[in-house]
Amino acid sequence: MAQRLALQRLLALPTRGPLASHGRAFGTSAGRRNTFNVQDGSDFQDRVVNSPKPVVVDFHAQWCGPCKILGPRLEKLVSKLEGKVLMAKVDIDDHTDLAIEYEVSAVPTVLAMKNGDVVDKFVGIKDEDQLEAFLKKLIGA
Amino acid sequence: GTTWGLGGTCVNVGCIPKKLMHQAALLGSALKDAQHYGWNISQPVQHTWSVMAQGVQNYVKSLNWGHRVQLQEKKVKYFNIKGSFSDPHTVRGLTKAGKETVVTADNIVIATGGRPKYPTHVAGALEYGITSDDLFWLKKSPGKTIPSFILYVSLECAGFLTGIGLDTTVMMRSVPLRGFDQAQMASLVTEHMESYGTKFLKRCYPLKVEKLESDRLQVTWKNADLDNEETDSFNTVMWAVGRTPDIKTLNLETVGVKTNPETGKIIVDASEATSVPHIYAVGDITEGRPELTPTAIAAGKLLAQRLFGQSAELMDYDNVPTTVFTPLEYGCVGLSEEAAVQRHGSENIEVYHAYYKPLEFTVAERDATQCYMKMVCLREREQRILGLHFIGPNAGEVIQGFALGIKCGATYPQMMKTVGIHPTCAEEVTKLHITKRSGLDATVTGC
Repeated sequence: MAQRLALQRLLALPTRGPLASHGRAFGTSAGRRNTFNVQDGSDFQDRVVNSPKPVVVDFHAQWCGPCKILGPRLEKLVSKLEGKVLMAKVDIDDHTDLAIEYEVSAVPTVLAMKNGDVVDKFVGIKDEDQLEAFLKKLIGA
Repeated sequence: GTTWGLGGTCVNVGCIPKKLMHQAALLGSALKDAQHYGWNISQPVQHTWSVMAQGVQNYVKSLNWGHRVQLQEKKVKYFNIKGSFSDPHTVRGLTKAGKETVVTADNIVIATGGRPKYPTHVAGALEYGITSDDLFWLKKSPGKTIPSFILYVSLECAGFLTGIGLDTTVMMRSVPLRGFDQAQMASLVTEHMESYGTKFLKRCYPLKVEKLESDRLQVTWKNADLDNEETDSFNTVMWAVGRTPDIKTLNLETVGVKTNPETGKIIVDASEATSVPHIYAVGDITEGRPELTPTAIAAGKLLAQRLFGQSAELMDYDNVPTTVFTPLEYGCVGLSEEAAVQRHGSENIEVYHAYYKPLEFTVAERDATQCYMKMVCLREREQRILGLHFIGPNAGEVIQGFALGIKCGATYPQMMKTVGIHPTCAEEVTKLHITKRSGLDATVTGC
């Protein structure tokens, strides 16, 4: 698992130039480069709070039906932005303390984070247009 | 055994999954009835355990999360640790990671709930049998099942397992539904279950459980009536022989909290205090209290109000209504006929009763033989209603409203003045007029 993540990061770094096409040749889908599952509190600190790029955090649960629709939908739109924004997925049963710390009550809850701060948020399912606007605002602002 | 999240027995392995699976079974019956009402549904209808189980388990998990959020919102600090008393004001515990935490408090409330008992004297019981705690969390169908012994849990589980199409047998040593209105209501409930398809092994008790090569379980039992041993194989053996308070590791003896040596339950007074004044207990672990969710919750709330809210109100455990969610449900409030006779004498009691037929059963050609109700009243003066018992669909919904009347001291004449809602089953309660004493046929006909 660690190796795959390291590989993803390596592939994610140069978004322009020859290495970009190498990335595709390795067979990882563009989406998976920019989306990851948070492993623990310090992983969240490293890759979300301290991330140089803005991050969309998707708090979800196994038992949540709408989460299963929102997750892939958001992932698809994030991947279209080719690395301008990353997506972190947090299973609230696995990482309850983290979810509580960020005041998640209902799921899905999606936070927009920039430089360690929560700059935007929504709860519940959204359609593609709404998600595109949410993401545009995050990278634009 | 199975482990679970916040919410207690009710949410995780009790009322909630039970009622949902009971509903699954009722829907199966409704699909059968539907044909008579004109729906084109090909029979037999199939049921897939894993679809039901996932739906139920997902809902329970969402409740676990909801409780966690509530604790956070009410600013309750939550320690997920296994705790025990180190002194009367101190609880020490270990996290899963092994880190020790110590918490001190002025007031401590114990509400650990119970865990199912295993009949450890039966060989193989622990290794091969499951309990209702596990049944609700199975990912795969339990198949041919034998819920054993006879408590309401065993009947409810056997009921919905039969309802979803599984080959189910209940083994009972003595009387069904101990503690409820025994003689009559209990036997009506089990009679219905028999006609519904559940098999009963009456006056039998298990001797041993062995695992077969096929992964099935061979159960051997003693038939007390025939005085011989019998055996059969099952996919699942489920024990429902009672629950015992989950307090053994709390270190109660060290701090002086007294328990009843027979039941193992914590002895409390009317204010829910244990033998140690600032240590309280609520719920299934307390001696002499009903093992019900609403009473535990109410007792806890009132305790909080007394400790911090300048209230002196104690929990009232009288006339607590309840319902057994067997395929044909049994709801009741107040005294059983036996208890009323014992307390007042049979000459001072009048029992009004009726066998009725729910309207919905007619077109569906369903058997209503066990649909029955009775009202136990005092004979003298105002003829106060002491107890109401109802077997039929939606028994819980029917009894809930009447529980208010009984709480307010409703009388037979007041009940007769209450106009019924038509057409319902509940209206038959307001029309009860045939007494047991008269010996007349109690069958009533609606419209």
